[in-house]
Amino acid sequence: MSEAWADRLKFVWPPVLIALVFLGAWQLLVVARDIKPFVLPAPTLIAENFFGGLDLMWGTAYYTGTTALLGLVFGTIAGIVMALLAQRFIVVNNLITPLAAGLAAVPIIALTPILNNMFSITSRTPRVLVTAIIVFFPMLVNVTRGLVQVQPVQLELMRSMNAQPRTVLRSLRVPNAIPFFFTGMKIAAPLAVIAALVAEYFGGPQQGLGSRIASSAANTAYGRAWAYVVAAIITGLVFYLIVVAVERWTTPWTGRTSSA
Amino acid sequence: MSGHEHAVSADGVWKIFNEGLSNEVTALQDVHLTVDTGEFISLIGPSGCGKSTLLRVIADLTDATRGQMRVAGVTPPEAREKQLYGMAFQQAALFDWRNVRRNVELPLELQGWNKDKRKERAMELLEMVQLADFAEHRPWELSGGMQQRVAIARSLAVDPPLLLMDEPFGALDEMTRERMQNELLRIRQETGKSIVFVTHSIPEAVYLSDRVVVMSPRPGRITDVVPIPLGVDRDEDTRESDAFYESVTAVREALRGHVGGAGMRARVGEV
Repeated sequence: MSEAWADRLKFVWPPVLIALVFLGAWQLLVVARDIKPFVLPAPTLIAENFFGGLDLMWGTAYYTGTTALLGLVFGTIAGIVMALLAQRFIVVNNLITPLAAGLAAVPIIALTPILNNMFSITSRTPRVLVTAIIVFFPMLVNVTRGLVQVQPVQLELMRSMNAQPRTVLRSLRVPNAIPFFFTGMKIAAPLAVIAALVAEYFGGPQQGLGSRIASSAANTAYGRAWAYVVAAIITGLVFYLIVVAVERWTTPWTGRTSSA
Repeated sequence: MSGHEHAVSADGVWKIFNEGLSNEVTALQDVHLTVDTGEFISLIGPSGCGKSTLLRVIADLTDATRGQMRVAGVTPPEAREKQLYGMAFQQAALFDWRNVRRNVELPLELQGWNKDKRKERAMELLEMVQLADFAEHRPWELSGGMQQRVAIARSLAVDPPLLLMDEPFGALDEMTRERMQNELLRIRQETGKSIVFVTHSIPEAVYLSDRVVVMSPRPGRITDVVPIPLGVDRDEDTRESDAFYESVTAVREALRGHVGGAGMRARVGEV
């Protein structure tokens, strides 16, 4: 056990060291050149605000994190359902592929003001919706790929065993898509946090990270604005790391190629 | 035929891809072949000679353009539905998300066997391929030869009378390959299966087979059938016997298209 931890530490210390050097240089620069906080606040000032208002940080991150999680769940479900339809019906696939490519170019976040008018601006709904739409595409693309990109020899094997299409889906395509699902999730989860946060810039309830960053900056509380940015980074990282942990736990075969 | 059911019988089987188009390819031309019950037949020939296509027609992975194919007396689609054959490919094609035992259980699962019976049968088969100790391992933890043994166990799971093998040892190193050949002969002895085996190794075909079917490309067709008079009991010594070398020579000459020679060769039509 202790050896495993020592091994893990070997991977941990280089980025930690780099982060410390970076923060040190930052602090030194701000102090030495007497840089004003509205240009660049010192790390110590940010830390002061962050740890000083820890309850506030947690509550704010919790609000935005909830929006992100709801959007992530709905967007993922929609993406999976659409991917299943796409692999089942070639017509749906032919419709979706160009549509997905086209919609990927639309700045979906820019739809927020419109959605704010369509749904109640005082509710979380428009933000969840925007987040879900943003999550939808990487999930759709990756899960579809996982369902479709099955080794031809495995399909022939299933056919030789007289497997019906439903069985092929359940016993081959779906398990084959799970690593692809996680690839999609690793893109979508941090993206959901970003989407939920940016959507707050367009008005509505003010208790989220995006709202607080904007209002702190407007009130010249630059240290606090940056502290919220730190909270946002941590929230995104937590989302990402949860996905990675679940992936490791559920699909230990990912990245192994045995039965090529 | 006369009442006796052949394991496989092909009567004037053609397979033409893109028929009538400019890129038309005749993969199989007028193939006549019978495999007796319990017989071990190898299909050998250079790439593009149609040996894999012939196997795939038998397995109903593709259909014949013309002619009649019978597997244990029924059509290939019926044989596939009734699981009258098991198949192994060059790639083991194991499912990484299942452990070794559950990979072997897969065909039984598709047949609706219950959990306990599945497990019992899978363990019996893993015992036979000497991998019982690895039942709970994941496929990627096994060597290539071991993975292929799992694939063979899987192809035997529903106890089909016929085994179809498409270059199953093609990706293995020479030593592993010879061990696997001995293993396959032993399994054949134990189970009495009819086997159609695709390979492009002459010694492999000779060592394993009762008859070697020699095929030739453009168009893919059977050019010769070489009987291998090595008897039923074969072991490492067989590989160094004169009879073995004679058969290897006979197959090699047949592949080169020489006529006459060893005198133990029968023309296709006479078989």
